[in-house]
Amino acid sequence: MPPLSGSTKGIKNRLRLPSLSTEVVPREPSLVLGWNAGSFRERKKAFLLAESMVRKAATMGVSEELAQLQEETLAAIAAAETTSALEEVRVRVVGKSGTLTGYLRSMGSVPKEERALVGKAVNEARNCVEEALAARKEALAAAELEQRIQGDAVDVTLPGRGQQRGTRHLINGIIAEVSEIFLGLGYTVIEGPEIETDYYNFEALNAPADHPSRSMQDTFYVLDRSGDQARVRGESDVLLRTQTSGVQVHAMEDRPLPIYMIAPGKVYRRDVADPSHLPQFHQIEGLVVDEGITFGDLKGTLDFLCKQIFGEDRKTRMRAHYFPFTEPSAEVDVSCGVCHGEGCRMCKGTGWLEILGCGMVDPNVLEMSGIDPERYSGFAFGMGVERIACLKYDIPDLRMLLEGDMRFLRQF
Amino acid sequence: MKVSLKWLSEYVAVPEDLQAFCDRLDLTGTGVEGAETLGAALDGVVIGKVLTCEPHPDSDHMHVVTVDVGAEEPLQIVCGAPNIAADIKVPVATIGAELPGGFAIKKSKLRGVVSCGMCCSQRELGLGSNHEGIWVLPEDAPVGQPIAQYAQLSDTVLDLEITPNRPDCLSMVGMAREVGAMYQEDYANPLEPMAHDLDGLTDGPTVDASVSVTIADPDRCARYTARVIDNVKVGPSPDWLAERVTAAGARSINNVVDVTNYILFLFGQPLHAFDYDRLAAADGTVSIVVRPAKEGEELTTLDGTERSLTPDMTLIATPERPVALAGVMGGLDSEVEESTTTVLLEAATFNPAHTSRTSRNLGLISEASLRYERGVDDNPIDVISEASAALLAAVSGGTVRPGVVDVYEARTEPKVLSFRIPRFCAMMGADIPRDFIVDILTRLGCTVADTADESVLEVVAPTFRPDLEREIDLYEEVLRLWGMDRIEATMPASPARVGVRSAEQRLADVIVDTLRSAGLNETMTYSFVDPHDSDALGLDDEHLGEAVELINPMSSEQALMRRTILPGLLHSVAYNLARGSADVQLFEVGTVFSTAEGKKKPKERRKVAGVMAGAMGPKGWNTERVPFDFFDGKGVLESLARELALPKVRFKALSAEEAPQLQPGRAAQMLSEGSVIGWLGEVHPAVAQRFAIDEAVVAFELDVRALTKAARAARPYKDVSVYPASTMDIALVVDEEVTHERLEQVITSAGGTLLEDVRLFDVYRDPEKVGPGKKSMAYTLTYRSADHTLTGDEVEKAHQRLMTKVSKATGAEIRG
Repeated sequence: MPPLSGSTKGIKNRLRLPSLSTEVVPREPSLVLGWNAGSFRERKKAFLLAESMVRKAATMGVSEELAQLQEETLAAIAAAETTSALEEVRVRVVGKSGTLTGYLRSMGSVPKEERALVGKAVNEARNCVEEALAARKEALAAAELEQRIQGDAVDVTLPGRGQQRGTRHLINGIIAEVSEIFLGLGYTVIEGPEIETDYYNFEALNAPADHPSRSMQDTFYVLDRSGDQARVRGESDVLLRTQTSGVQVHAMEDRPLPIYMIAPGKVYRRDVADPSHLPQFHQIEGLVVDEGITFGDLKGTLDFLCKQIFGEDRKTRMRAHYFPFTEPSAEVDVSCGVCHGEGCRMCKGTGWLEILGCGMVDPNVLEMSGIDPERYSGFAFGMGVERIACLKYDIPDLRMLLEGDMRFLRQF
Repeated sequence: MKVSLKWLSEYVAVPEDLQAFCDRLDLTGTGVEGAETLGAALDGVVIGKVLTCEPHPDSDHMHVVTVDVGAEEPLQIVCGAPNIAADIKVPVATIGAELPGGFAIKKSKLRGVVSCGMCCSQRELGLGSNHEGIWVLPEDAPVGQPIAQYAQLSDTVLDLEITPNRPDCLSMVGMAREVGAMYQEDYANPLEPMAHDLDGLTDGPTVDASVSVTIADPDRCARYTARVIDNVKVGPSPDWLAERVTAAGARSINNVVDVTNYILFLFGQPLHAFDYDRLAAADGTVSIVVRPAKEGEELTTLDGTERSLTPDMTLIATPERPVALAGVMGGLDSEVEESTTTVLLEAATFNPAHTSRTSRNLGLISEASLRYERGVDDNPIDVISEASAALLAAVSGGTVRPGVVDVYEARTEPKVLSFRIPRFCAMMGADIPRDFIVDILTRLGCTVADTADESVLEVVAPTFRPDLEREIDLYEEVLRLWGMDRIEATMPASPARVGVRSAEQRLADVIVDTLRSAGLNETMTYSFVDPHDSDALGLDDEHLGEAVELINPMSSEQALMRRTILPGLLHSVAYNLARGSADVQLFEVGTVFSTAEGKKKPKERRKVAGVMAGAMGPKGWNTERVPFDFFDGKGVLESLARELALPKVRFKALSAEEAPQLQPGRAAQMLSEGSVIGWLGEVHPAVAQRFAIDEAVVAFELDVRALTKAARAARPYKDVSVYPASTMDIALVVDEEVTHERLEQVITSAGGTLLEDVRLFDVYRDPEKVGPGKKSMAYTLTYRSADHTLTGDEVEKAHQRLMTKVSKATGAEIRG
């Protein structure tokens, strides 16, 4: 392919060969090693040897000449210490204007009757020389490669060239892990708003106004800009959700049955931030509504979940409890991973760690969302993500989750 | 709820094994939050036998005794009590013991004789007033046994978490019933016998001769009873009564108040005792009205606080004035005092919702309000009132006026429910025997009867269980007492369901992954912000919308919901810099909030914001530390644009007005197909300083919804040409104002189809060589054809044409 040339004033032009072109052919290592490989003295020695061979050949009979040339060449090959010195021998003897090549070129001056004989002798000599060249070259190349490799050795304990892969926040990491588990079980992941009306946070969850269960959670109220007045001073119809359970209601209102969903998200409660409390934290809500759902299904699902999160060897237990939107309701404990049930500091001596609340969806809740509780049943559960983080990593102070300390974040 | 096991065991058998008992309580729905052993104060006080008793050599009234306390050696003790003698058994406080009042026992010398402990009187042990001398114990008292154990002084008090659906368990009798059901054991209710005690304590004219009660609003008060006890002597409670109310967590005040508390703890029925004379009119009669408060009406409650009331609150009043806040707290000026001789005893029930709101509105929670807001059964009130009057008269030496004033406006009728056994078993996933169901429901106070259908039970729920309203409520009772641990774990059997992630969720994952690949670390900050933070950023409502205000924030620094994630991240940058982490790369995906007048629910938007301060890392042996600047942030956003396949992404310079949080000249808006995605820039140095940051911070904030809306599923595929390319370098000297974007546009349009790629590789300024106000922009242009190998001539022609056009369009001087 002819090189392109475009000489434009002042601009450097370059040719780039396509990647499939001849440039792909690897260059011979001998050329690469070339002039760096042998000393000047070695190269000179090889040169002089070749010169003397040519001179001798002119004064002898052709076959003696050839024999001598072959012998001397083989000696020169054996003496070559570097691939470049060897290359010089090759050029002198079998190169385009090499001594041995010269015999073939000058075949015309050989008497006709001797031609076949001389030609055969020359070719034999040439084959013999080339074999020797090849063998010597291989040996020298291997030695030189070996030498180079030795020189290239590094201290492998030196640090790698700096790259930074950013980390996932511990809480979101756990949410992703749990989401993955439930996607595998055929659940859909959905989200809901962080600011809710009283209806979705309490009322539709079977906790009507002034219901004592509301005192279980201390609520942040939001200034209601619609002009509506709350019946209790300092409260409001609009609030920061205290639980992700409101997403259940949205799901039952908006989605076709059956429902298999989880809803991770941020929730808020009026707790002073301290090592074990935060005014904002995360829950993962789960909801199943289908025909024939049993309490056993709830138990089996949460059992599976706990084993996936904490390990196959962990046990779970259910303690009856009360939530307004489920009935029967329970809290679930997982056996302590530190003491395996013996009782230790981690589990405060009980052998069990509380991780979630759950229950069968209360028929009132189903009905309020227009689902027939005689035909459908379901279960719901909610777990604190920070709680799981604490149990898995023994985080001493929850506030670290919100400080953005690089030394903390980079650990996960 | 504090439950004394000693007290509880009067009504039901309490298991010996405390741990097992607590576990069973826990599993059946009564959380055990703590267990405290009373009597622990007498640690180290044991029973001892006096072996020898000699007069003290240097005292005329003291003795030196040796006492066997079950230890290897007898103790030598100096004792000053007159009744000390050999061979008697006495309580001995050994060295290390601490007696009530904090008196610690140490080894000491009394008039030269060593004393290694103390023989105690009852009073010294806090067990009564007898200080006549040493407490001489019966002969069979075992030597060495702790006195607390011997005298059954010790009691375990459990702190129980009673869920809001169980008002019945806020009483000893309720807990006795519950424990009976837990173990399928009978319990004894002391109410009837206590009521019978009233016989023989009555005297005088009937109560209705002097007391009348009117309920103005029956909705607020279903039943109100009053009795009068005359000739009361207010004084200290008898020991047993004081012990009971103390164990339940109250303070022993006097015999009258203690009786009201005792009944409250025993039956869950709040009582109130008024000083009759302070209610009475001039003619000696009392007229009680239960009525709504008037707006602004005032009452000083027992705790001495003057309360301003609203019509939602209910009062107990005389015609003249309010005397108590119904269901919550009594009034100060009708309180029973030392001088009180006649007590009017109120036993009533009040509306739960009103009580709850009153309590919350006034920030006043009492043992009474706690019970009323959960529901107090109106049915047994008259009997409880009878039992209470009897007890009050008994402990105060008084007499009870015969009869009761009982205004009963609305009786709570028991609910009749069906219990379909097969449905129950199917829903629980367990075969629970009919006998068990019947037994448990009966023990819980239900009346259970058969119906024509053998698989259906008719259950009458007791009125003290307002939570048993529906069939499902009964299921819960049976299941929890059957034991949830006995249910077999299964998985939902539904055949057809698939878990899906929405497109938005998948893209959210791409965003997070891309930012992480760019070296940014995910963090989280508070959703609450300091109102000053937006001022510090220089941003106002024009930029951010109106802020969402919290009515009850934790503090004034957390009074608003955030409208941008930036302040939280800047605080985190400052936090890190202050702690020696010089290189900070953070991002957060989170919600921001805004609102407007007339709106109920605020608007929520998801944002992704990032900050980069310092460098990606410190200088290494083979890497340089390259401080972050604008283009590091831009590179991150370009990666994001690539990963989300955003079409036609542009960055437009933002003015100081548009983005006051950013340093002018290093601020840009990101757009895709003309829609705003967000902003990027270096934080204004003055802003950074307000957050205590003294170095460059690159920041960005993008709208997640805008990103996901703009995102494409994939970029269109372009054939990979097999023909060789030819590259040409070009340097354009242009005015400062000419942007890279402009040059790139002009070059691209001038290059036509043969121009494959334009890459800026150098920007050079030099007033002498390039000229003042000018810059040299050098590009590498790649020419390639999709269908043949370009000849030199073709490239030459295309390139010449391009240079002419670019020069014309931008005034660029083309140089080498």
